[in-house]
Amino acid sequence: MKEGFEDSYIVEGKMALPYSYFAGRVGSTFLTTLRDKKKIMGVKCNTCNKVFVPPRQTCERCMEDIRDNWVELKNTGTVTNFTVVRYEDKHMPKKVPYVLAMIHLDGADTPMTHIIEGVKPEKVKIGMRVEAVFADEDTNTIMNIDHFKPVTEKIEVRERADAGGTGAKTYTGEQPETKKGGKPAMSKKVIITAALSGAATMKNQIDSVPYEPKEFAEEAARCYKAGASMVHIHAREENGMPTHDVARIKATHDAIKEKTPELIVNLSSAVGMGKTPEQRITQILEIKPEMASLNTNTMNFSIVDRKTGKIFIDFIFENTFTMLQDFGKGMEENGIKPEVEVYDMGGLDNWKIVAKQGIFSKPYNFNFVWGVAGGMAFRPDLFMVLKNALPEDANYTTCGVGLDEFPAINMSCLSGGHMRVGLEDNIKLPNGELAKGSFELVEWATRICEILGKEIATPDEAREIMGIKK
Amino acid sequence: MGKRVAICALEQVKNEPDIWYQRFQGMLLDCLEPILEKTGVTFDMDKGIRNVITCSDDVFDARTISDSGITDVVGAHFRGEEKMAQDSINGLGYAMACILSGHDDVVLYMGHCKESQAESRYMNTNLAYDPFYMRPLGIDFLSANAFQARAYMEKAGVDDDHLAEIVVRSRKNAAKNPYARENEMVSGDQVKNSPYLADPIRELHFYPMTDWAFGMLLCSEERAKEFCDNPVWVTGYGSCMDSYFPGDRDIISNFALKNAASRAYSMAGVKNPQKEIDLFELTDQSAYQLPMWAEGVGIVDEFAGGKWIEEGGPDKSQVNLSGGMLNGNPVMLGGAARVAEAWYQLRGEAGDRQLKKPKKALAHGVTGAMGQHHGVVILEK
Repeated sequence: MKEGFEDSYIVEGKMALPYSYFAGRVGSTFLTTLRDKKKIMGVKCNTCNKVFVPPRQTCERCMEDIRDNWVELKNTGTVTNFTVVRYEDKHMPKKVPYVLAMIHLDGADTPMTHIIEGVKPEKVKIGMRVEAVFADEDTNTIMNIDHFKPVTEKIEVRERADAGGTGAKTYTGEQPETKKGGKPAMSKKVIITAALSGAATMKNQIDSVPYEPKEFAEEAARCYKAGASMVHIHAREENGMPTHDVARIKATHDAIKEKTPELIVNLSSAVGMGKTPEQRITQILEIKPEMASLNTNTMNFSIVDRKTGKIFIDFIFENTFTMLQDFGKGMEENGIKPEVEVYDMGGLDNWKIVAKQGIFSKPYNFNFVWGVAGGMAFRPDLFMVLKNALPEDANYTTCGVGLDEFPAINMSCLSGGHMRVGLEDNIKLPNGELAKGSFELVEWATRICEILGKEIATPDEAREIMGIKK
Repeated sequence: MGKRVAICALEQVKNEPDIWYQRFQGMLLDCLEPILEKTGVTFDMDKGIRNVITCSDDVFDARTISDSGITDVVGAHFRGEEKMAQDSINGLGYAMACILSGHDDVVLYMGHCKESQAESRYMNTNLAYDPFYMRPLGIDFLSANAFQARAYMEKAGVDDDHLAEIVVRSRKNAAKNPYARENEMVSGDQVKNSPYLADPIRELHFYPMTDWAFGMLLCSEERAKEFCDNPVWVTGYGSCMDSYFPGDRDIISNFALKNAASRAYSMAGVKNPQKEIDLFELTDQSAYQLPMWAEGVGIVDEFAGGKWIEEGGPDKSQVNLSGGMLNGNPVMLGGAARVAEAWYQLRGEAGDRQLKKPKKALAHGVTGAMGQHHGVVILEK
């Protein structure tokens, strides 16, 4: 206590002033439309063509009367800015911490301020899509929108036509002779494989890459619906790391089969970086999928910056002759059809050497892989050289990393082969936008069939083509 | 150059966290009495003060028409009195207009605020927003500033380290200012470890609760010598108001500040502020605003704020030697506190922080969140 102030007095006071605020005619329309129709309205200035929300009677820049120029906005929008309010106070409508954000509603030109819930504050990002959640009771204010929550995007799959969907309507008539010919025999029906995960595509790049068995099952089902008859799997741990754990891989495999029994599941025998040969093959032999990848040569398999040539992760992908032989034998003995991964002509020749032992059953199935840093980049003429070097009774599919994906699968489909797409190889659509998931890449693959007049194989047709005995 | 207005006297109480032991009326009286004594100015209706301009805020005083609580003690009864409820720097601009128009030739300019009276400063600034669209969201000046902080920092390459450096520097500078709020010296790590209030604004990034009052005597050029030997001249003033809704503004553009500064420069005949102005006092309510406002007044390239901090820009350009608003001034009085620092510096009375013969200074005030309204004055020796 300061000296001399012992008998001083502090009076506690309070300003509590009830008010009635007239919302104005423009404001009233806005608020009652929120309340009665659950719609957010903006007003448009016809001079500067801007749509404003919250609404106002006059455009402050053009000084134009805009009170009657109502425009219905979407209840969805994009977060353009946000803060996490962490200090408690009496004027806060929510328990702290809560997220205040600027949200650019679809159809508006000015972001409005509101609250985001339904997501942990640390997960809120600029660019995040959100939708309005309306209040149960009228508040007479903007709180008639109680908050915004992250959009649960309704995933709509362009469904394969043979399942009665609206997807690719492909030519089903007789194939012309010229299209039938060639060596090996051109397949009339095209098998689309979706490689859902790989070992390196992470959720920080694209959220729809699956880690959990349930996520694999859901994404596989969407891919099937869109036209895939096979999925290629690298199982992941909860944190996204690729795993050789048999239980986890089996759970992933079984979840897919349980949700979509029709699908062929093709397991990776590469798994991920730094796995021992035993870790790579044991899981396959125990789970016994219908198909598994079989790699053909030891090679660089690195992560690089393709623009600058800088090497980020240097890795040698080991596939010795012995591994090719042992893995191949193990698969064939257990009724698992190998998918032979060909990263260059040397790999194909390696397989041909080992095949002399009579290990592999016909028909043989190859996958030409393009764009691996350490392998070959896609070139159409090189593709034909590989195709022409295949043995009799062989099918081939192809996949390409990043920008190689769509040119390579076009070439394959055109030349009589099959197609593999998916987030393992590439996360973007041909127009450069991020794919909604592997299924959207499958949808694009079906469009190639549509253009080339090819039918899409059902899983059972795929089994027949590839010689998989169910 | 146009006509100019003299500041003949300036008095202030010390900035303190909680002047519970004095009413703001008493704080103002402590400023007024020495002004009367030192200048000999009177309230004579012919030769003395005929008009008083006061700065205060209704909600922070918990009293509407807040000036009515203090007009008696500042001699404003029986004469002209007008209240400025924006940042106080606009009170100076208004006083200048009164004098240059010839309406008055001697004006008393006073201001007060006790932030400590309010249970919560944030609850008070929440009331600055409309009752339909913004106030119900719980937004206030702190959380609204956080939007601007995030957007500006991203664009201008300003990071948490830079903000820490700004806070540490502010406190060091303020330690040399006898009128500054006495704050603990902090390290960069302490700043970086202080909790977030509204990301990316941390507790130590935001100005602390402060009580303060000031008074100045202004007069026409013709009458300045009657009241003091070495007046400080106000030669330029400009202000600008930006849109109300945060979403209507380009919140990183510095639109209003650039506009206010250019109007002040043009009035004072300043062509190159970086070269011609010796010190800059900027109202930085939050640390990110120091580089942002420095860009706005034209001494830093647009969106080069991060680099400017790294290169020691604030010291090179002599910005906020007072410690700035960031060290603690009450809401709405940041501008007057900046003028006060410029006044001491230009008169050579800035003690340990005195610059070598400064001739021209810029003082800046901001009203509202994320720089909705800016006021800039140019002061000269």
